[in-house]
Amino acid sequence: MKLLSEDDLNLAAMSDEELDRAWDLWFDLAQETNDWDPPYTHGVLVLVEAPPPERSS
Amino acid sequence: MANIYFDLTREFNARGTIAILASGQAVVYYRLAMMSKDGDWIVKETGDACGTILAVLDRHQARYRPGAPLDPRWLSGGWSSHFEFFDDRRRRIRCDFFSRPPKVAAAARDDLFATASEDPLAVIGIEDLILMKRTQSAKDYAVIGELARRLPPAREIEFTTDVDRLCELAPGFTTGSQRPTARVALEGPRDSVVVALARETDQLQQADHQRLRRYEAAAREYLAAFRKADIQDGPLAAAHETACRLAEECLPRDPLGLQG
Repeated sequence: MKLLSEDDLNLAAMSDEELDRAWDLWFDLAQETNDWDPPYTHGVLVLVEAPPPERSS
Repeated sequence: MANIYFDLTREFNARGTIAILASGQAVVYYRLAMMSKDGDWIVKETGDACGTILAVLDRHQARYRPGAPLDPRWLSGGWSSHFEFFDDRRRRIRCDFFSRPPKVAAAARDDLFATASEDPLAVIGIEDLILMKRTQSAKDYAVIGELARRLPPAREIEFTTDVDRLCELAPGFTTGSQRPTARVALEGPRDSVVVALARETDQLQQADHQRLRRYEAAAREYLAAFRKADIQDGPLAAAHETACRLAEECLPRDPLGLQG
């Protein structure tokens, strides 16, 4: 049973240069969602939520 | 291979291995998936190693994010430290550090640095990566299944999350296995293997959640003080000093008793 998509598994067939370019393009696109990312994706603070934005009175 | 996180790893390790690339970027290194926008490293638990990493981050004009100080006093209690900077294309680079990778045994952890090769792009091995990937996140269990395929069959059966592979491997490799799910695969119908695997995954996810809840609770007062002190806006050296002072005041060093 395949556990990951073809898009993922195709990485194995890429040369180093192709993988670097693919990652670079993916990383550029991924910047678009920075504002919606959880505050932590690694480490022991993953359950910590971002504090609510301060309200201006 | 070169991306910002691989390059940072080489910078950290320019004078000897002190940081080992882990988690999502290690999955990229093993060419399995584009897993993470952030980088995380297992750092050698010494003051010198932490100082070297802080110096590299400072050259990149990184800032502390709310998190424990990058200091062995807290790292040895399992805490993690978090930083952020922007590269020359204004892309956000997040860097996370810890010295006690969860679920990796102490002896294996010590071996990480003792057996590291001279390649400055130091990357965690597949079995330790699998152990670290036993998180709350469902997608990590798909990655574990693919990582396990890279292992010899006698080790694959200890880790695979693929029902079909478990059933295929069980007749030849269950004898030496300590994994209850592998024994189910030898004896039971496929449906019972599906259930056993789901239960095993749920237990791992719940255990990880409980562990993180304890850190979240232990960090609450410190993180509030950290945010109030505006550490994130200051230069790294001053921020580090302030983080250490605040941590001495209100961040328990070892909430899970890891320092034993």
